[in-house]
Amino acid sequence: MRSAILEVKGLSKRFGGLTAVANLGFEVREGEILGLIGPNGAGKSTTFNLIAGAHAADGGQVAFRGVPILGLPPHEIAKRGLMRTFQHNRPFEGLTVLENVLVGGHTRFASSLWKVIAGADRLEEQQRRRQAERCVEFVGLGELRDAAVDRLSFGQGRLLEIARALAGEPKLLLLDEPAAGLTLAEAERIAAVIRGIAARGIAVLLIEHDMHFLLPLAHRVVVLNFGAKIAEGTPGEVRSHPAVMDAYLGHAAAV
Amino acid sequence: MRAIAGWLAAAVVLSAVAFFLSSYHNDVYRKLLLWVALALSYNFLFGISGQVAFSHFAFYGIGAYAVVIFLFQLGMPLPLAMLLAIAVCALIALAVAIPSTRLEGFYLALATLALAQLFIVVLNEGGTITGGTGGIVAYRLPAIFGVHISGPWYTAVIVMLVLATYAVLWRLDRSWFGRACRAVRDNPEAAAAMGVNVARTKVIAFTLTSVLAGIAGMVYAFVDNTVNPPIFGLENAFLLLFMVIIGGAGRHAGAVVGAVLLYLLPFVLSPLIGHHHALVFGVLMVAAILVQPRGLIGIYDALRHPRG
Repeated sequence: MRSAILEVKGLSKRFGGLTAVANLGFEVREGEILGLIGPNGAGKSTTFNLIAGAHAADGGQVAFRGVPILGLPPHEIAKRGLMRTFQHNRPFEGLTVLENVLVGGHTRFASSLWKVIAGADRLEEQQRRRQAERCVEFVGLGELRDAAVDRLSFGQGRLLEIARALAGEPKLLLLDEPAAGLTLAEAERIAAVIRGIAARGIAVLLIEHDMHFLLPLAHRVVVLNFGAKIAEGTPGEVRSHPAVMDAYLGHAAAV
Repeated sequence: MRAIAGWLAAAVVLSAVAFFLSSYHNDVYRKLLLWVALALSYNFLFGISGQVAFSHFAFYGIGAYAVVIFLFQLGMPLPLAMLLAIAVCALIALAVAIPSTRLEGFYLALATLALAQLFIVVLNEGGTITGGTGGIVAYRLPAIFGVHISGPWYTAVIVMLVLATYAVLWRLDRSWFGRACRAVRDNPEAAAAMGVNVARTKVIAFTLTSVLAGIAGMVYAFVDNTVNPPIFGLENAFLLLFMVIIGGAGRHAGAVVGAVLLYLLPFVLSPLIGHHHALVFGVLMVAAILVQPRGLIGIYDALRHPRG
């Protein structure tokens, strides 16, 4: 079995009287696609934001590559190689597609501000630019490289989110409902990109409530309901798990 | 190599102009150049970093007063006085930026407005150190290696200041730092997720641009050889804001166009409407915000690259 890159233990978060995440534990292993799934309001996005440092947890531990990261600010977490996308696209509107992706590589620049002022960062800038171009091409936005981001469709904006996060050379990529609001063709496209990312050895933690999108894609699945883990296993195991059928599939089938 | 040749050509041409101007027009030209330098650095702070600060012109005054006080009230040599004046600007900028950037943008506007007002109070109440309401007058730039720089040669010094300011800001803008500043302006939460330290980026941008304003102030101190409180009043802080918005916020060329236009406009308008040019500025400002948020440079861009 491959070793864990992210270990979550006893993670808890309350909003007032509501327990959003309750004593949650799971792990993401090197190079795998782990799906975190559950009905709306199950605590998926909260879990995601706790791991990424966007919200403060009330308890528990999160270790990334063996080092505790809970309580670190988001930029420190990104620097350690854990990059994220946003469920609602959040591009930098005043920047082009390529510049957006270059911001994703922010933590990989080594030149000091003095070097920048002296003009001695030119070589590094060229290298990072080429790396960003590869990320843009990898997700299939090569032709829109120098376009303003308001020219992108919603689906292309989602691809930009992924390219931007990839430019940070993550060891683990957190994707927040990457298929939400996409057409079937766009969702298939995103699924192919995610498979390509895993094939490069980057672990993916994927949050999704669409089972049809997630199950063919994930290597393993963790199922949440009311902030707690109700099942864990391969997509096949989870699909036939009684608690999951009850909490989720029955619900989905009814819809 | 070609880039260096371009900078040299700009330096020679812009300096040469000064040798063909009368002393009155030389004075106008010098002040125009100083406004361009200020608008360029304010554009980086307001247009590129998105920080609504009203302290930029105050830092121009702090730089001017600091170098004059260190030189003539405290008798320091010129290099030391210049270094200390830069240090004073940097320390005051850090003292304002560190607490205000932790809060929302509105508080930075308030804190910097307070600093600009406080600065005038300190100048007026500063006794023999600041010269009070009369300021400090009748001093002269000390000789550098036995040479007194004056007349069009001093204009050449101001040209160097403008070009150096532009070079520094241009390099910062096209680097990881400039992109981080724009990212923080557009979406601080996404910027943080990409590994940008939002508070640190804001503080560095504020301090750097404030120091650039201070350096321009140090150079200004020897244009009129007078520093007094009315020169550094708040109306100039707003004029800078107008220059950047009307020219086109976020673009270096916009800052230059805005500074040249708004500085020269009163010379054209005064014979026609007297001192009511503020009214024209106000109308231009409202027009820019309502009709052309990208400013004059945005009109140029639209003509050059029509978007289908």
